[in-house]
Amino acid sequence: MSAAWRASLQRFLITGPPLVYLLLFFGIPTLIMVLASLRLPGEFGGLAPLWETGPSGTELNLSLESYGRFFSDSLYAWLFFKSFLYALVTAVACLLLAYPLALLIARSPGKRRDLLVLLVILPFWSNFLIRVYAWMIILGPESVLTRTLNALLAGLGIAPVELLFTPFAVLVGLVYVHLPFMVLPLFANLEKHDPALLDAAQDLGARSWQRFWRVTFPLSLPGVLAGAALVFIPALGIFAIPDILGGTDSILIGNVIKQQFLDARDWPFGSVLSMVLTALAVAFAAAAAWVASRQRL
Amino acid sequence: MNKLLLVLALLISLPAAAKDDVLHLYNWNNYMSDETIKRFETFCKCKVKQTYYSDNDELLAKLQAGAKGYDVLVPTMSAVEALIKRNALLPLDHAQLPNLKNVMPVYANTPFDPDNKFSVPYAMSITLLGYNDQKLKELGVAVDSWATLFDPAILAKIKGKVTVLDSQRELIAAALKYQGYSVNETDEAKLKEARDIILKAKPYWAAFNASSYIKELTVGNIWLAHGYSNDMFQANTDAHAAKRPFSIVPALPKEGAVLALDAMVIHKSAPRPDLAHKFLNFMLDGKNAADLTNMIGSGNPNADALRYIKPEIKAIKAVFPDTETARKLEMIKDLNSKQLRYVTRMWTEIKLR
Repeated sequence: MSAAWRASLQRFLITGPPLVYLLLFFGIPTLIMVLASLRLPGEFGGLAPLWETGPSGTELNLSLESYGRFFSDSLYAWLFFKSFLYALVTAVACLLLAYPLALLIARSPGKRRDLLVLLVILPFWSNFLIRVYAWMIILGPESVLTRTLNALLAGLGIAPVELLFTPFAVLVGLVYVHLPFMVLPLFANLEKHDPALLDAAQDLGARSWQRFWRVTFPLSLPGVLAGAALVFIPALGIFAIPDILGGTDSILIGNVIKQQFLDARDWPFGSVLSMVLTALAVAFAAAAAWVASRQRL
Repeated sequence: MNKLLLVLALLISLPAAAKDDVLHLYNWNNYMSDETIKRFETFCKCKVKQTYYSDNDELLAKLQAGAKGYDVLVPTMSAVEALIKRNALLPLDHAQLPNLKNVMPVYANTPFDPDNKFSVPYAMSITLLGYNDQKLKELGVAVDSWATLFDPAILAKIKGKVTVLDSQRELIAAALKYQGYSVNETDEAKLKEARDIILKAKPYWAAFNASSYIKELTVGNIWLAHGYSNDMFQANTDAHAAKRPFSIVPALPKEGAVLALDAMVIHKSAPRPDLAHKFLNFMLDGKNAADLTNMIGSGNPNADALRYIKPEIKAIKAVFPDTETARKLEMIKDLNSKQLRYVTRMWTEIKLR
């Protein structure tokens, strides 16, 4: 057995299983969705048969009708735009909150750093829905937070506000759930920075703000982009948080996709919406990867 | 390759084969008391394995996707109709169901399943209004009509303290009833009227909510909720248990409302149709049928069950309406895909505006 052959076998044994896994559980379902988006809905849910034999012979039941419906109705474009805005605000808010935290963790001494990382991961030990439900209590009109806030506002002569069932509540939920996905890649990046670089910058006369802006931040950009993609893309398709914390106008694209598959039993149109969402997510991930690769040059 | 995929799919979809005597019941959450299950297990010397779903569409979608291994399902009548049309149910052997005679005539032999060929009525709920009696009395808001939910002049007093069901059919049905139309109206002009009523009332509502309004009513965050009679019963029980100074009262609007009748059916691929029939007949017995009403305050289509139901529950008029009121109740029918598409498009618009 030649060495080259053995090396390629080894490579295949290592990379093969995950590739097969992705092909089976990502590739095939995506292809099914592409096909479903071209088919017609069944009378009582599901999909109409692919072949139909009528008086004029056998016909193939494929159509671009669902895509036509999507592109001829501005309602759905507006929905995507709104979801995009929510995801963008979430990603920016996560970045602003996570950066100082990640910096603090990366610059803590060994033992304390491990503890802080553990604390960031800790929320994952309880169920996602339970954590979001907890926000219902925190933001509810009878909660300590809401009452304190409204007492303060009353002191300033401002009318009381509602927190729960508002776009604000949805954003709080989105930021809360996605924050660890921003902190961890940022931390992983910041941890590797050579402290000697900052010392050198200081020796050359850079003030603390300049040291951050001209040394630390540019070096951390791959982490920023990885975190932004990890937050932005899931936030774009989420439906549970607007369902639970949102008010009468908090519907996002994820909710409408769920609604197409369950309430409307219109699988083709749900597939079209999913396809557009997937295409957008891939485009953003590609853009982030491209920017990151240019940074490294 | 195709065959291989088929075998794989079959392997994945088949749950553990029923080696022992096990009845697989696919039910709504909290929709059967533990005592009833235990009594049946003793009676049939078998085990009951329950799994749960949270709405009919979830059940239909799951079965459509090929889920197998369930014996008994408990869908609402409209979903029963859809399942019959998809040829997914086993015709019942009435010879094995002598207790079928206990079902009240109004709830037997419905257009959804003529002659109960496939389904036996189990329990029902009415979609109505539940309110905080203390708060609404203070504000002088009467709750006897859908106007309380839709009229901006009334809503102005309770702005932000109202939730409506996050269900396109239910909410549109309520608006249709308010206009004096059938809940199954499919005329586009009338549906648009319903949409406009909803859009005018929407700014006064706090949320579309199908999951947490029970808790919100109980703690006093929400004073008026559009929801199911069973849930209002639960909210009231919880409020009393927590010693709140108010009650949650169910109110059946005078214009009429949606009735949801849930029935037990046997899935076509049921591993144990014999046990399933035994179970259906057992559940039609008045004593067993009454358990659920005593537990969650559901309406009961079983005439023989009435004598086992607690008097304080039987006294709730909104759950056990008189004949004249009962006549104004309507069951939601399944829409065809074109109608459903129209309603769904409208619903997306309602929620986005």
